[in-house]
Amino acid sequence: MDEPDGWYAVALGADIEPSTSAGTRLFGHELVVWRDAAGAVHVWEDRCPHRGMRLSFGFVRGDHIACLYHGWRYDAAGQCRFIPAHPDLDVSPMIRTRTYPCRERAGLIWVRWGAPADAPETAPDAAEAVPVSPLRSLYLDAPAARLAVALGGAGSDGLTRIDLDGSSVLVAVQPLAAEASAAHIVVPVPPDAPAADLARLAAACVALRRSIEGAVP
Amino acid sequence: MNRAVNLRLYDYELDENGYKVRLALGALGLACETVAVDMVPGAEQTRSPLIDLNPLGTLPILVDGATVLREAEAILAYLARRYDPAGTWLPQEPAAFGETLMWLAFATRELHAASLARRAALFDHPGDGPDLERRARAAFRIMEDHIVLRGVSGADWFAGTGPTIADLALFPAFALSRDFGIDHEAYPGLRRWSRRVRGLPGFCTMPGIPDYH
Repeated sequence: MDEPDGWYAVALGADIEPSTSAGTRLFGHELVVWRDAAGAVHVWEDRCPHRGMRLSFGFVRGDHIACLYHGWRYDAAGQCRFIPAHPDLDVSPMIRTRTYPCRERAGLIWVRWGAPADAPETAPDAAEAVPVSPLRSLYLDAPAARLAVALGGAGSDGLTRIDLDGSSVLVAVQPLAAEASAAHIVVPVPPDAPAADLARLAAACVALRRSIEGAVP
Repeated sequence: MNRAVNLRLYDYELDENGYKVRLALGALGLACETVAVDMVPGAEQTRSPLIDLNPLGTLPILVDGATVLREAEAILAYLARRYDPAGTWLPQEPAAFGETLMWLAFATRELHAASLARRAALFDHPGDGPDLERRARAAFRIMEDHIVLRGVSGADWFAGTGPTIADLALFPAFALSRDFGIDHEAYPGLRRWSRRVRGLPGFCTMPGIPDYH
């Protein structure tokens, strides 16, 4: 599939808690999104160079993530620092994972896709530091293009403002694979928004997904 | 410290239904004698003497004195009523009680597809893999929608105000879903919920659920 350069949201910030990891995809490429104990987020290729195990199955300790298979431990730069089976080994700088520039803006975790290695790491343009409440990530059995059309023809880069059950919300589209996409939805209100409003909007998300997937009875 | 009671559980370590009971025993702090049954490949539960305890030929089976119970969800309800005097794991309050039973039914019916998908993947049991996977995904989506809705309303668990046996009955199918090829990508709410379940006092793992927390 076509893979336009740009910043893509891959998760709600609130859904990646400190010291946890999650696997996701962008254009079919498997990524691990993880947050270290100090709160910084990281987005990498989801692959341990040792045996190809997905790092998202692993576990976070401090500012390292470790592979579930053999405990190889990687620092925040993606460099392997420790191999439990060879505790005295000074690990080669060749043993490292592919990392991507990432940022947190507007309650979302963004990854820079397709940037040349020496490109400046600018923030996602559309996602200014607006106060938001996270609503939910909606995973759809539908291509990102169909999702974008349903949102009003917006592109798949940045944030789109839509009306959801009478309220204005912001949506970022994540192309997962050819036939799968995600809509990361935040509400542009301060974090102390009334819970009843969020519950109403979370319920409206289910109807939105149903209409996009074409499953309306 | 586990309370000394006279419980015996007929169990197979890789069986997610037995795991539900192990989770409940841990949560309630109950000691239990476990009898390991050769379910795969031996199908020992379908022959005497186990078939005399449970004519359905299924596991798990719990024996507590004169009481003999089959069906994981029924065993969970029994253990909660019998050994949880505070009544939090099977809530007394009518709405929370009803919600708990509603999700117990979901665990036995909708999540049965996940159970069959896992048996097909791990034990070469017969079954339409793609159809089972589709039905398991549909069930996980309903769970995800529910726990997200609960979350924005300030609730962390499937029913009532705290963890119940519904959470314990629902946990294994989701936590083991990678055994049959369903990743957790599409279920951020369930990911966070399963982390809470892992943090419950007395929580235990089983093969397929890594022990790293």
